Amino acid sequence: MSPPRELSQVQRWMQAVITHPGGVVPGIASSQARAQLDVSGDRVEMVITRSRAQTAIERLEIYAKAYYARLLECLRAEFPVLVHAMGADLFDEFAVGYLERYPSHSYTLNHLGANFAQYLEETRPEPRTSAPEWPEFLVDLARLEWAFSEVFDGPGAENEPLLDPAELRAIPPERWPDVRLKPVPCLRTLALRFPVNRYYRAVRRKRAARPAAPAETFLAVTRRDYVVRHYELTRSQHALLSAVVSGANVAEAIAAAADLAGGRGGALARWIGEWFRRWAAQGFFLAAELPT
Amino acid sequence: MKSQRFGYPNLGLGVGLRTTHFSYILQNQPAVDWFEIISENFMDSGGRPRYVLEQIAERYPVVMHGVSLSIGSSDPLNLEYLHKLRSLADHVRARWVSDHLCWTGVCGLNAHDLLPIPLNEDTLKHVVRRIRTVQEILERPLVLENPSSYVTFADSTMSEWEFLTRMAEDADCGLLLDVNNVYVSSVNHDFDPIEFVRSVPHRRVVQCHLAGHTPCGTHRIDTHDREVIDPVWQLYRRAHQLTGGMATLLEWDANIPAFPVVHAEVLKARHYMNAQLGAQPVVRHTGPEPRAGTPTVFHPLAHTVVQVA
Repeated sequence: MSPPRELSQVQRWMQAVITHPGGVVPGIASSQARAQLDVSGDRVEMVITRSRAQTAIERLEIYAKAYYARLLECLRAEFPVLVHAMGADLFDEFAVGYLERYPSHSYTLNHLGANFAQYLEETRPEPRTSAPEWPEFLVDLARLEWAFSEVFDGPGAENEPLLDPAELRAIPPERWPDVRLKPVPCLRTLALRFPVNRYYRAVRRKRAARPAAPAETFLAVTRRDYVVRHYELTRSQHALLSAVVSGANVAEAIAAAADLAGGRGGALARWIGEWFRRWAAQGFFLAAELPT
Repeated sequence: MKSQRFGYPNLGLGVGLRTTHFSYILQNQPAVDWFEIISENFMDSGGRPRYVLEQIAERYPVVMHGVSLSIGSSDPLNLEYLHKLRSLADHVRARWVSDHLCWTGVCGLNAHDLLPIPLNEDTLKHVVRRIRTVQEILERPLVLENPSSYVTFADSTMSEWEFLTRMAEDADCGLLLDVNNVYVSSVNHDFDPIEFVRSVPHRRVVQCHLAGHTPCGTHRIDTHDREVIDPVWQLYRRAHQLTGGMATLLEWDANIPAFPVVHAEVLKARHYMNAQLGAQPVVRHTGPEPRAGTPTVFHPLAHTVVQVA
């Protein structure tokens, strides 16, 4: 009679067995499983009993197959356009590797894809040139789809009054540098190496979509009436809006954007009133706050 | 337990709320008695899922059904999760909160599966202790469901119904009797499903689950992707008789048809409630296996679907 097994031993053993990417038999032989219960495949019925119709290993295989099948299904649903771009088989191959490196530690499946773009970046083959290539396209697409997920189900402003563009016109010009535009909590800015937003849109609308050539692409992603919306920005607009989102006032945001534009802050200043009014009309802001 | 089912009402015939039916429900306000939600899909939502839930909770009774409590795990309980669960339950005025007698992972990992535990004195004490803690945090009785399972343990010393009975009595919690799971497990583990249904403490059965499953030759898989089969309806009939009636809910999680089809499926329960309750035996389904083939994922978990303009 063997000594009674601790619940934690049995559970750690079973988890190691059913999450092993090679399947149950390699899982039972793995060091992680044997560190908990040192049973070989032919003695596994000391832990898991057989049924009339199935051996212990066949029964464990039901859980092992389901582990990857379920999580792959969720990842496919999270990144439908990436699946389209990569092809289902290649996507699944990366997804299995991803689940090995970044298994879920959350109570919700809605966080499952949080590190997928990062994983694709980490496993990217050595670049052949300095120009962005196919792997960067895929990473950008993964980042875009994840941003859409976060914005869709994260906090929003549907129940709050938005900034009326007319309020911006009422601000005296000399007060503009001190203005802080309070963004809606769902507003994100993205800097990408490919116009994956156009590819995304074409695939979702079932139009012929071919991955475009690399081109710096800047986006604002937000949500209105519970639907995710995305807008293309110029490089300067992206710098300006990113600074605003991170809490800068207008003067600081212009300085950040001017750094990028080679110090041409004056030129930017001519445009920003119009940009801010347009963004306000698109529902990017809750309020324009002035220090008292 | 002072009163039957802790005084929880028999809500009638309900349907599991799924994303694909959101628009239909909001537009048509179907005459369904109540909805059950997957708690984890709404706990952190600040978007459309939460908005839809709030509207539904204004019109219909809502019950919260979780999949990540992991009451049987040897990992510590996740207190942050429990406080969020409590907060959502208060917010939507959940009629009760349920989860499964299972574990979902250890060492911080979540396999997002409902894994069975060895059924013995040690695990019984462990689970009872944890249920008490959960009930203190939620400030309401917890309701636990018998999951479908595909393995049994050499360390088990009692039947699942004995474990559930002692657990419910010792922890003073409720039970969610999933008659489809009883049937699936009875085939997988070679036990008599009627004995299971007959043996659980009926005064503690707050709710019943119905669902379809997939036969796979040597075993059955709980897929929630089709109609309820007759032997499961017969188990339901028996459970209805023994409990005196209980809130009943249909789960349909894959290949989900239009809402009226799902609703019509649960309404079939009326026939089994009103049927003469004689000595008709519950027979194993021996006919040709319906739509057998590559099994889909068992107990698929609802997942948020993003809407992009």
